[in-house]
Amino acid sequence: MKISLRWLSDYIDLSHPSCDYFAKPAELAAMLTAAGLEVESIENLAKQFEHVVVGTILKKDQHPGADRLTVCQVSTGEGKVHQIVCGAKNHNAGDNVVVALPGAVLPGNFAIKHSKIRGVESGGMLCSETELGLKTESDGILILPKEAPVGQPFAKYMGFDDILLELKVTPNRADCLSHFGLAREIATLTGREVKFPIETLVEDGGSTRDQMKVDLRASDMCPRYMGRGVVGVKVGPSPAWLKKRLESVGVNSINNVVDITNFVMLEVGQPLHAFDAAKLRGRQIIIDRAPAGEKFTTLDGTELTLGGDELTIRDSERAVVLAGIIGGANSGVDESTTELFIEAAYFTPSAVRRTARKFGIETDSSYRYTRGTNPEAVPLALNRAAQLVREIAGGKVMGSSYDLYPNAIKREPIAISLQTLSDRLGIQAKADEFEMWMKRLGCEATPVSPSASGSASGPAWSVLPPLFRWDLTVDVDLVEEFARLHGYQHIPETIPPLAAAPSVHDTSFVVESKIRRLLQGAGCLQALNYAFVSKAFQDSLLGSLDRVSAVGLRTQNEAVALMNPLNEEIGVMRTSLMPGLVKNVVYNSRHGNPFGRLFELGFGHFSDTSPEGKKSYPQEGRLGFAFWGNDESLWSKGEPAPLIFTLKGTVETLLRELGFKKWKWVPLTKDAPEFLHPGQSAALQLEGKSMGFIGTLHPSVAGEHKIRESVAVGELALEKLVAVKDRGLSYQPLVRMPAVDRDLAFVLPRELAVGDVETEMRKSAGELLRDVRVFDVFEGKDLAAGQRSVAFRLVFQAKDATLEDAQINELRDKVVKSVSEKFKVSLR
Amino acid sequence: MLKEKIEEIRAQAEAAFKAAPSAKDLYDAKVQFLGKQGSFSSIMKEMGKLSAEEKPAFGKLVNEVKQALEAVYADRETALKGQELASQLQAEALDLSLPSATAAPGARHPVALVIEEISGILSRLGYSIRTGPLIESDRYNFEGLNFPPDHPARDMQDTFYIDKEHVLRTHTSPIQIRTMELERPPLRVVGVGPVFRADSDISHSPNFHQIEGLCVDRRVSMADLKGTISFFVREYFGKDLKTRFRPSFFPFTEPSAEVDCQCPICSGKGVIGSQDCRMCKASGWIEIGGSGLVHPNVLKLAGVQYPEWQGFAFGFGIERMAIIKYGIDDIRLFNENDVRFLRQFSL
Repeated sequence: MKISLRWLSDYIDLSHPSCDYFAKPAELAAMLTAAGLEVESIENLAKQFEHVVVGTILKKDQHPGADRLTVCQVSTGEGKVHQIVCGAKNHNAGDNVVVALPGAVLPGNFAIKHSKIRGVESGGMLCSETELGLKTESDGILILPKEAPVGQPFAKYMGFDDILLELKVTPNRADCLSHFGLAREIATLTGREVKFPIETLVEDGGSTRDQMKVDLRASDMCPRYMGRGVVGVKVGPSPAWLKKRLESVGVNSINNVVDITNFVMLEVGQPLHAFDAAKLRGRQIIIDRAPAGEKFTTLDGTELTLGGDELTIRDSERAVVLAGIIGGANSGVDESTTELFIEAAYFTPSAVRRTARKFGIETDSSYRYTRGTNPEAVPLALNRAAQLVREIAGGKVMGSSYDLYPNAIKREPIAISLQTLSDRLGIQAKADEFEMWMKRLGCEATPVSPSASGSASGPAWSVLPPLFRWDLTVDVDLVEEFARLHGYQHIPETIPPLAAAPSVHDTSFVVESKIRRLLQGAGCLQALNYAFVSKAFQDSLLGSLDRVSAVGLRTQNEAVALMNPLNEEIGVMRTSLMPGLVKNVVYNSRHGNPFGRLFELGFGHFSDTSPEGKKSYPQEGRLGFAFWGNDESLWSKGEPAPLIFTLKGTVETLLRELGFKKWKWVPLTKDAPEFLHPGQSAALQLEGKSMGFIGTLHPSVAGEHKIRESVAVGELALEKLVAVKDRGLSYQPLVRMPAVDRDLAFVLPRELAVGDVETEMRKSAGELLRDVRVFDVFEGKDLAAGQRSVAFRLVFQAKDATLEDAQINELRDKVVKSVSEKFKVSLR
Repeated sequence: MLKEKIEEIRAQAEAAFKAAPSAKDLYDAKVQFLGKQGSFSSIMKEMGKLSAEEKPAFGKLVNEVKQALEAVYADRETALKGQELASQLQAEALDLSLPSATAAPGARHPVALVIEEISGILSRLGYSIRTGPLIESDRYNFEGLNFPPDHPARDMQDTFYIDKEHVLRTHTSPIQIRTMELERPPLRVVGVGPVFRADSDISHSPNFHQIEGLCVDRRVSMADLKGTISFFVREYFGKDLKTRFRPSFFPFTEPSAEVDCQCPICSGKGVIGSQDCRMCKASGWIEIGGSGLVHPNVLKLAGVQYPEWQGFAFGFGIERMAIIKYGIDDIRLFNENDVRFLRQFSL
């Protein structure tokens, strides 16, 4: 909210000798910020006119060296005379002018200095309106009226000597949403006096009751309704002072009547509404809920269909105002209006808020009502507005105004003890200080016996807060009031003692931390994508969902959608990490990063509906991978294994480090998810259950996104990884007997999985075969098409004996025989 | 006569050994002169022609010459081996200015780094980590945190709605409520994870991260809160920075406080050399989070007896902490996943 210090100073002395806030606005800002009213910026309007003053030309002479220039002797009061060279033609001795003295910096960063112009000293400049930034074009310098006070700062003369504060008012401080409200707060903080902005209202005769019938039917939503008639009004432009006030805080001037209602709202925080009384059918006002289905057109032309629970102000036939929010097009004040009915009311915050939210309308009025206005300020605001209409728009104020307030609102007292204050803040609070602050806040603090406040001993009070402080309802609210006025900086810093042993961390956090570290060690970079994605992209990338669920990852046809997404690109919750990671590969590939190893920890989100129709949204933790390109910094290399094997290795390292001993890769072929290469993808099985996949990105997906590098992707369900028991590291004795190798090269058909051959080898050789390694795979050369040569190194070792050659050869022959027979293959 | 012949062979052999250019040539020369079919052997065959008196002296001479030649041979052999090793080593010399053969290093995301670092500091004070669902019910995200329905405080947080009762959590505070419902006090827990606000511009991401601490105990005060946060600030930034608390408003705390700390970039001076500090806009202070004593309504709604138990809570934005600590100047970098950015965090 914008606050003008000039306006504020109508209610409180801001230039008090103890601290002149016009001179030191930063001190006011610091004080307000320290009290919880954050000042976001200070704008000093006078700043741009520093060293610019009203002057008068004493003497005008021709410049000795230039025909077009004059040399003027200019007085700026108190005997100060400046010689100024001027190029204008419209000035004469005796004119009052605007003088920019050395030190001034005019708009456009134009600095004024002492100078010599064609050999004549010049100590300043006589300004045009263009040079002052007031107009885009001007003819000659600005000549001020004779009565302009010579020597006065130009900013002050023009009324630009204001300082504006941009105030961030938290929702609990509705009382500060006006100039008078803020003045009251400053009075609390400084002890200065605050003056109410009310003059005596002069009634001109006639009765509001004869003008209008008012019927309050919904006092639950409108506890207080006031109204007063004004006749003989002349609607027209506002006077300059009123325009300037409103414009200084960013409100446009509309006409004198509307400006007055806005002015009073910004002055005391009470929204008002002025009706053209002649437009109200039946000369009647009814405060009631709308009938369901009623159409209502707001004054800005939006047509709404009302549901029936909205509070409206109605005439005998129809809604004329959405109460506290916005007026109707049917009853507003216009140029032809002569008779007003001015409304001031207290609508409950929830009544206004429900309707404002429903229709998505926020006005200055609804903003204040939803935060809680002051029911006691209603008559003050109404009278103030009527008086201003009388003065400015020439109206005759009618008597017998309405004040319908069937149940006066009362606040409940709050019990608090000094002990509570001290305990919550960690200080030794003092009773007299508490009483002093309560008094300044407008709270009535009545001492009571300690037991009444629930405290065992020490001073205690029953505190009745004023009606404008809705936020004060329980003892801790008063603790905060005391703390902020006492000063947060005066609260000491202590570390609370640890009363119980710390509990264990969340398992998923611990395992995820471990995964992050392990994958970092494996050379992977952690990516972080939004939890929401584009529905279209996710659907088209994932393709057939059956195939995704077949590898053990949950899917959902209709991803969980946001009701109010910022845009469709982030419109639904992701069901897989793939959309984000594939986009990351595309981004990097396009930005000159031909190589990368990304992993991501995140969630897939899904929706469930219980048999009773209750919705829930479970999340499934996922670990995703996207590897692309080759690390070109490795300058010495043979033919690298296809990228998918790098990913496979990374996943296996991770599984091993997490404590898994067994897992299985199941080739996916034609069942592979659609975004994977069907010949280069596999599902990971742990304990017989699929829990994710790895695979090469399908060439058509890569092609569609113009990714030239090879891409391997993978996604695993985290649940299983997290559930693994601690690896329980324990030492195994070393086998000190010699190990002996035997190499075997088989010619195998391409379709035969090497993993199956390896399994058969281990099975047939038994436990003396300690290890099988594949050390060479090739096709072509002298091999038939569809065949490949695979070389295995078999490592034999016994725990307790040196193996004889004969024994090893026998085992080798056994392996050869069983592999040859089982797979119908032969040694090379 | 024979004697001269020996001297001659000796001279020839010596010359040949010394001139041999390689180990192979040297060996060939050795065979030629000292081998079974060599010059020396033929001379020995002629020894039979000598008289018995001459034989011992001649034998002695032959042995002397042979030993001498063996010595010359050995010297030459050593010299040649040395030369060959030297040339082998020379040939094997590598340009160690070539890049190393290690793979590119991995890195954790800066958001994860900050989370782990903050969790580590708070763990020392006895806090343990908790997580929770991203899609929350209204009850956990708002009502349980003392945001009544239709309350304007809800406007402080632009909320993404999933349906009438569910939202994308707007803060990590629902984790506090879940913890208080499940576990008995005293409690010291840290809730951490992604949060969402329907707001996106140069300085706001719709999907960012928070971390917050909750302490529930028999008697906790604003002084305890201040002390805890001040400790955290000094540990996290590794400097003796001052912390400042400003009154504020959050529905779930009362009293509430915004937390500022002295700018770690300029150490609170507001200037770096003669330049204004850009991080704190020359103010010397930066806002790092919110805090306060847990509102009694929040405790009661979560089933914690008040005033027997009281609490304080504090929270920070992770991305903001990363921006301050690592000087990251564009929030888009956090989610673009450009490897040139990510590689910089291989701590």
